[in-house]
Amino acid sequence: MSIRADSVNARGQRDWPMHVVIWAFIVVELFPIYMMLQVSFKDNSAFIENPWLPTNPARWIWANWVFGLKLIGPYIANTIFVAVSGTAGTLVCALLGAYFFARYRMPFGRVLWALFMVLMMLPTIANLVPLFSLLKNLSLLNTLWALILVGMAGAQAFNLFVLRNFIEDIPKDLFEAAEMDGANHLAQLRHVVVPMSGSILGTLAILAFLGKWNEFLLPLIVLRDKDLFTLGVGLIYLDGEYVKQWGQIMAAYVIASVPLIVIFLFCMRLFVRGLSQGAIKG
Amino acid sequence: MSPILPPKQALRNWRLYFFLLPSLSLVAIFSYFPAASAIYHSFFDWQGGETKQFIGWQNFRRAFGDRVLWDSFLTVGFLILFNVFKMIPSIAMAVLIHRLKSDRWQYFYRVLLVVPMIVPHLVTLFIWKFFFDPNLGVLNRVLDATGAKRVLVWLDRHILGWNVFLGDAPIGWLSDPNLILPALFLWGFPWIGAVGVLIYLAGLQSIGQEVYEAAELDGVGPFGKFFYIELPLILTQVRLSLVLLIIGTLQGYGLMLLLLGDAGGPGGRGMVPGLWMYNRAFIAGEFGYACALGMILFVFILGLTTLNNRYVRVDK
Repeated sequence: MSIRADSVNARGQRDWPMHVVIWAFIVVELFPIYMMLQVSFKDNSAFIENPWLPTNPARWIWANWVFGLKLIGPYIANTIFVAVSGTAGTLVCALLGAYFFARYRMPFGRVLWALFMVLMMLPTIANLVPLFSLLKNLSLLNTLWALILVGMAGAQAFNLFVLRNFIEDIPKDLFEAAEMDGANHLAQLRHVVVPMSGSILGTLAILAFLGKWNEFLLPLIVLRDKDLFTLGVGLIYLDGEYVKQWGQIMAAYVIASVPLIVIFLFCMRLFVRGLSQGAIKG
Repeated sequence: MSPILPPKQALRNWRLYFFLLPSLSLVAIFSYFPAASAIYHSFFDWQGGETKQFIGWQNFRRAFGDRVLWDSFLTVGFLILFNVFKMIPSIAMAVLIHRLKSDRWQYFYRVLLVVPMIVPHLVTLFIWKFFFDPNLGVLNRVLDATGAKRVLVWLDRHILGWNVFLGDAPIGWLSDPNLILPALFLWGFPWIGAVGVLIYLAGLQSIGQEVYEAAELDGVGPFGKFFYIELPLILTQVRLSLVLLIIGTLQGYGLMLLLLGDAGGPGGRGMVPGLWMYNRAFIAGEFGYACALGMILFVFILGLTTLNNRYVRVDK
């Protein structure tokens, strides 16, 4: 035992070159975030004079942050609305659908399943143009509902896939016991499935939320009204301004990240796991 | 797989079909209908309005003679090569982290790697765009400060002959046609994708400490360990991310749209097929032609996906 511990220790000490390499990568990787933070406290002249190092806190220009918040606050509110309702809608629909597939093998179940799974394989790029005209005909152009509904539809296949596997792993006895007690399917879903699936729903919710937060192509073609802009379009609009006050823009960028930072701090484990799983979706 | 429910029982549970209704209608309206409509409209001369005219294969014939489209396929080919190369740091990072003895450090580094994900993609994109800015941009300042610019100027004068790196002018990364591809290559340095590292780490998890010790007794060096122990175990993940990356790069155009604009930047050197489709539809108003372009791209990607399903097995 002690010999083993010694050898581990000796190897542990030889790890330092790897630590150095990893730190080098991470420092470069985090450099953009560092720049964003420190430039957000400068005005353009302070930035040109001293681009690399943070200025003295006494000279920090908090006005950048006030300006950034005013600029981007409404966009954030819109995005939170879209992301929260889109995520909730996606999960409710997918949970219902997954229950259908997982509880029994219903007639036509296989065909219907294939209908969803095919969507995971198909490239969506050809859909964009007809989707635009469909939304126009449904008079959903220039509404946030367009983003919510299209997002919900696009996320169904992946969420159904994950949730079906999860529900199938729940012991059948639990469902049968609930049925004995006179629970219908909706009650079984609520009292058997939902209480057990907290962490998987959390993971899926984080993935869906992240996806919404990062979305910009659909909002860009759907939204026209400045009042309705989500973060994506708002940031693009900001980038199009002719004369740029980099400090204000960077402060706005930081503020745009705050909701994600909050999620990250509160559910780091779910976040890390969700990202590993989301990669399977691509 | 349990057998299909007998009809009698299924009939008793008919209400279950209602459970599927929300998902099914969403997908039917917002996924299947647009897809069908794209196929249909690719045979029409259509400006997006009520009037349209059937023109048969003419959109496709036009696409086959479309220089911009074929150039854009060439560009996207380069981008795919770049992106494949950019997988290397993530793999290296995962292997390095996995080889650390201390679990605590491993977890700490994993968290640090995820930190960039809390910044929205768009923000990262715009920060990089800011880095590329010729006058204020960080990249040019780094090159100046490290003397790397002098090397580039020398290379340009004596070997490359592009006439883009001049001693007395800032480098216009996104404004010079010749520099667009190099700039897209540099984009995102050091190219570590948190998601990639995390899946590779998950794949590496199954290698126990004994395996390393045994390898060490046999005198296997660090590179040997990588090729004989680590790579085989993450090969599934590497292949999977390779396929997803190729498909993603082929479809993707968001980066190009925001970095270079809807015409693909100076000289259209950053034009990719997806961006050309977007451009035709929303800038030129040629919706029918854009649908045909989408179909061509779709068939292209579908072919790749089929090939991949045949030759790349993915274990779930």
